[in-house]
Amino acid sequence: METASQLSMLLGLAWLTPLVAFVAILFFGPRMGQHGKNAAWVSTAAIVASLMLSLAAMGTWLAAHPVQGVVHAGHVGHAEDSHAESHEAQRPAAVHAPVAYSGDWYTLYQGGNLKLTIGWYIDALTVLMFVVVTCIATCIHIYAAGYMHDELHDVTDHEVHLAGGGDLHRPGRFSRFFQALSLFCFSMLGILIAGNLAMVFIFWELVGICSWFLIGFYYERTSASNAANKAFIVNRIGDFGMLIGLMALWGALGTLHFADSVERAPDGSMNVRQGLLSLVRPAEGGHALRVPDGMVKFAAAAAVAQISIDHADRPRDAASELASRLDDWRSMGMGRWLLFIAGIGIFCGCIGKSAQFPLFVWLPDAMEGPTPVSALVHSATMVAAGVYLVGRFFPVLTPDVLLVIAYVGAITLFIAATIALVATDIKRVLAYSTVSQLGYMMLALGVGGWVAGLFHLVTHAFFKSLLFLCSGSVIHACHTNDMRKMGGLAKKMPWTAGTMLVGCLAIIGAGVPFVIGLSGYYSKDAILAQALAFSQANPTHWILYAAVAGGALLTAFYMFRLWFLTFAGVPRDHHIAEHAHESPTVMVAPLVVLAVLAVVAGWTFPGGFGVANLLEQARPAGTAEATTGGFVFGGVTIPAEHESHVGPIHVTATLTAFATAAVGVLLAAVMYLWRFVSPVVVAYLFRPVYRFLAGRWYFDELYHAVFVVPVLGIASLASGTDRGVIDRIIDGIAWTARQLAGFDAWIDRTLVDGLVNATAHATWNAGLTLKQLQTGHLRQYVMFIVIGTVALFVLASLLFRCSLAG
Amino acid sequence: MIASMMLAAINWHSVLFLVFAGLACAFAVAVVVADNIVRMAFYLVLSLGSTAGLFFLAGAEFIGSMQLMIYVGGTLVLLVFGVMLTAQAPFISIKTSTNDRVLAGVVGAALLVVLLQAAFSVEAWRRPGVGEVANPSATPLGMALLGVRVDDPPAGTSPSLVRSGYLLPFEIVSVHLLVVLVGAAYLARAKRRRTPRGIETADVAASGGPR
Amino acid sequence: MNPLNPMHAPTVLASLFAVNLLSDPVSVTHYLVVGAILFTAGIVCMTVKRNALGVLMGIELVLNGANVNFVAFSSPYLQGEQTASIGLDGQAIALFVILLAAAEAAVALAITLNFYNNHSTVDIDQADDLKG
Repeated sequence: METASQLSMLLGLAWLTPLVAFVAILFFGPRMGQHGKNAAWVSTAAIVASLMLSLAAMGTWLAAHPVQGVVHAGHVGHAEDSHAESHEAQRPAAVHAPVAYSGDWYTLYQGGNLKLTIGWYIDALTVLMFVVVTCIATCIHIYAAGYMHDELHDVTDHEVHLAGGGDLHRPGRFSRFFQALSLFCFSMLGILIAGNLAMVFIFWELVGICSWFLIGFYYERTSASNAANKAFIVNRIGDFGMLIGLMALWGALGTLHFADSVERAPDGSMNVRQGLLSLVRPAEGGHALRVPDGMVKFAAAAAVAQISIDHADRPRDAASELASRLDDWRSMGMGRWLLFIAGIGIFCGCIGKSAQFPLFVWLPDAMEGPTPVSALVHSATMVAAGVYLVGRFFPVLTPDVLLVIAYVGAITLFIAATIALVATDIKRVLAYSTVSQLGYMMLALGVGGWVAGLFHLVTHAFFKSLLFLCSGSVIHACHTNDMRKMGGLAKKMPWTAGTMLVGCLAIIGAGVPFVIGLSGYYSKDAILAQALAFSQANPTHWILYAAVAGGALLTAFYMFRLWFLTFAGVPRDHHIAEHAHESPTVMVAPLVVLAVLAVVAGWTFPGGFGVANLLEQARPAGTAEATTGGFVFGGVTIPAEHESHVGPIHVTATLTAFATAAVGVLLAAVMYLWRFVSPVVVAYLFRPVYRFLAGRWYFDELYHAVFVVPVLGIASLASGTDRGVIDRIIDGIAWTARQLAGFDAWIDRTLVDGLVNATAHATWNAGLTLKQLQTGHLRQYVMFIVIGTVALFVLASLLFRCSLAG
Repeated sequence: MIASMMLAAINWHSVLFLVFAGLACAFAVAVVVADNIVRMAFYLVLSLGSTAGLFFLAGAEFIGSMQLMIYVGGTLVLLVFGVMLTAQAPFISIKTSTNDRVLAGVVGAALLVVLLQAAFSVEAWRRPGVGEVANPSATPLGMALLGVRVDDPPAGTSPSLVRSGYLLPFEIVSVHLLVVLVGAAYLARAKRRRTPRGIETADVAASGGPR
Repeated sequence: MNPLNPMHAPTVLASLFAVNLLSDPVSVTHYLVVGAILFTAGIVCMTVKRNALGVLMGIELVLNGANVNFVAFSSPYLQGEQTASIGLDGQAIALFVILLAAAEAAVALAITLNFYNNHSTVDIDQADDLKG
């Protein structure tokens, strides 16, 4: 079987298997084992099957497209000089488009220009992401099987207080959890495999819904249901921008597919429908970014119409003149705003999904969901979908859009890191850390580091999910999220402490410079290097590099603050410390697996197999070289990513990374491990700053005041109008109708019924009266006859004057 | 002289009429006035007998005979039978209340006045007639009953008028009488007699009510 | 006869009347008067008598009154030439009346006897079961 169909079959099956699990648990969940216990294994089996299929797909891919050990992300066994020549050798190849397979499984709708399909676009990035997502999902499924054991029996939820007093007592929802988890896996894999933006959008929303289900798993808690609603609504705000982007693309270009598709025209010839990637970066011109014809025509619509009017009777002349004028219009700058808006629109969706500024407020609240949810959905996968889409859509993004992305990333990075400095809930710290790291990824992509950003995505997935699972283990043992009550747990929970230490070291990018490091070391290094190269190429944007470096310092500080507060020192709450215990094996095993992955994910193995090299295979066409462009913010030069791996930039970046991380860890140790400086004193000294940070920059309050309050005002106005005016009118009409009805009833009762009754009474009384005539006395009857006769006779004789005879 | 003159002037027809009419009226009134049912029956017989006389005087000899034979000799005898059958002691004289009698008297008087007024109203009836019948016989009546009219039409009757016979009524009356005979016989057959309402004899009470 | 002689007054009166009544022939009116008196007597008898047989007697009187009228109208003697009597028809009607009176008396008697058998009384005032 050829590679394309094999890959599509493998990945298609991997994608659909969790759906089967979802349907199975949907119908039979509570009946699977006692209290639905086996639902976990059904779900896990499905995701393990997906993992196997993904690994098989990876194997197929590597067999067809062996990885070349060329990219400089892994420094294992490469000398400096070999970089230059291998760099040269690589250059021509990067000009070509990456190997990608695409196709359609099922056409949902085809009408006119619009063709909506369920299809695939498989390149190295897809295969890699499949493996990463299914691997992490497997670990988390196994972990959750142990973590959620509380739901196997009736639960008393102490955070829900009933109106009549007492706490909520409800049956367990074990199978429901895995049902939602399976659906989520299906949706996430759908985004990864999607071949067109419409399919991405469908599964984008599906993932949002699954997130809503999972955050609101403990839905009786007001905080949880509010958090779920907040997540969904904030995501939808981003999706609004995404829809605008989709409309711009479809309206101007007529297609939403990434890759070209070949279809058979009615006359038998093969018709090539160009996809977005080749429309924006056509092969002729070396895949340089240019405004596509459709958008130029869209922008110059008036002139186009004029041409067709001028040549109304000769359409061929019109077409040729149109073609000749197109390049003129393009050089005038027609249609570039449309491309800019398309890019910004798609990025808006990513802002919402990946919790960037200003739509990041939902992610910390999403910690209301169970910890496995936080680990899978809100650290490793769903929030990464935004970064993934930016990566997938990278060729279509103009330098202006990329600059916007970089700045948004930088702002997000900074805000989140500062809030994490003072957060006391262990999961909140990790949540803000996630937001911050996502900002890192966006920044990396924005400054042109395609491989760097996605590399960080992969490594972050591993160590963030590891950190979350460890925190879940701690919460499970201590029954509290509050770090102020923890401390000194390292002895009681050695495995958790050790794996969490690995995770912390990974996130700060610990390692021996220029030699070896954990996974975060390599990815962070790449980001720093690219940011440095960018700020050197565009000195006006130096702040991007400062943000990255400063962020690294803050990251190191708050992560080790977390570790020291939780595991080191003296226990602050003895009750908790006494009852703390290591988690069961089913929960510890995934921690270990993820810790191992967090260590090795950045390495390039012999034969060249490594994440960075794999990603290099999927590098979008035309992005290997440095490019200059942009009109909105003045010119922007995006340096080539290769350049940042050599020479002084690389050295400076590595040393900066090491230095900032070291300083951060040292500061954290000073304040939280050795207690030389008291955090309370520092907080007091910088009171306003502390309050500002502890209040989370007051974003929630700001949004509440700016958006929620006016909407509530309008709503109360509308409801007031509805109640006061409309309801009054309706009630008035009803009252009038009732009064009329009452009047009618009175008429009916008194007059009509009265008339009828009076007639009846009169008849009755007449009958009663006349009855008295019938006395039964025969003599009386005779008397009446006689009287009647006499009377008649008298009358007749009076009235008729006629003779009686003759 | 005057007597013979008077005697010669006396219209014996009128005298006899007065006698019979007086008897008839007197006895009719007597029927009304009498209380005793048996006496009432007797006075009725006399009244109807006098009426028969009136009939004879009016020239309807056959009718008068039939009156005497059928009416007086049959019907009234039947009535007398009835009287005799039901003449128990309490029933012989049942008195009516005075109110009823006064009222009846007034009504009867009014009726009488009306009738008399009618009788005296037609001038033509007050003129006495002097018609003579050539051969008074019952043949015309008998023939009429058979359906053939042989009597002279009354004066003034137009000759084109067809006068019908009385055959059909004759037959109908015959059947009618038969039916009446059968019906009366059936109606008046012997049945168990019950004690009258309100009148309880001692032995009935002792035996616990009507049997 | 001396009209002023009181002993002869009745005779005179009678003769005065007799001159009219005894000497003049009788007309239909005289018969109608008799018929009326009989009829009225019969009606009053029907109204007054409580004995059922008394009522029957009243009925007989009524029928007779009617018969007298019929016979008077049919009589050739009593009518003048100006008016026509109804001739034979009157006699025939009177005959039928007699026959029907007989039939009716038989039935009425049967009813009365039935009534007497059921109620042991001939007092028709006791026959008020059909009162309203």
